[in-house]
Amino acid sequence: MTGLVLNIIIAALVSWIIFITIDIIFKLPERGGVSGADGIGHAIAADGGSLNGGFMMGNIVCSPDASAGVLLAACGVFVAGIPGGLIAAVVVYVGNRICNDPGYAGFTGAVWATFIISWFGLIGITPDVFIAGMVIAILTIQGISHRYASLLLNRLWRIRA
Amino acid sequence: MMLEYDPGMIAIYSPTMIPIYLCGIVAIYAVIRVVMEKNTLRKLVFLSVMNFAITGLVVLTIPDIMALFAGLAYFIGSNLEANAIASTYVGGEYSK
Repeated sequence: MTGLVLNIIIAALVSWIIFITIDIIFKLPERGGVSGADGIGHAIAADGGSLNGGFMMGNIVCSPDASAGVLLAACGVFVAGIPGGLIAAVVVYVGNRICNDPGYAGFTGAVWATFIISWFGLIGITPDVFIAGMVIAILTIQGISHRYASLLLNRLWRIRA
Repeated sequence: MMLEYDPGMIAIYSPTMIPIYLCGIVAIYAVIRVVMEKNTLRKLVFLSVMNFAITGLVVLTIPDIMALFAGLAYFIGSNLEANAIASTYVGGEYSK
């Protein structure tokens, strides 16, 4: 049981790094991709958070980005191995187009996460642990404190910009 | 009549159930935060945490390819709904 809890912590850290890195490479914090994401960014900034971090959190809510890609790829790998992860990547791509999102962060994140999660399966960290890990990773960004999460995202975005 | 032992069934205290319990606890926590939050747009951010947790629960409780499609459809649909609600709430036009 201790080993499983340790695996969940490792999986949460790995998923956190994957989705934050890909989202920042694809410039999600630069602006709200759709007007809803723009509004969420301003709502978080009005509460004392950062505007750029708020834009990224709004983009996560309004369209399947790399965080959705990592979660759905983990689900796909859990059920059907690497083909399942690639099916999830195709569905995330379709979801991006439906949501009028111009970017490819979700598709790229899903494909990367499929192979990374499959590789971690070889060393004993199974995909179901990655599903729980990704839920914890998104909880730390979206679910604890919007103000401090957006300030953290803004600090990481400054490195890229 | 005694119940027969079912080897496919997982005991509720088994360590392999920990990811399922984690997803459930996170979903309930997110719902509590949604209820307590006043601002509509910030409610949607907490709601997205619940969507992540429920998608995980759907696939973890039924490890089947059709459950994967159900989870994918649920998640993309919930994103689309959040997008529609947020866009309508702030005025309706796409910002380019």
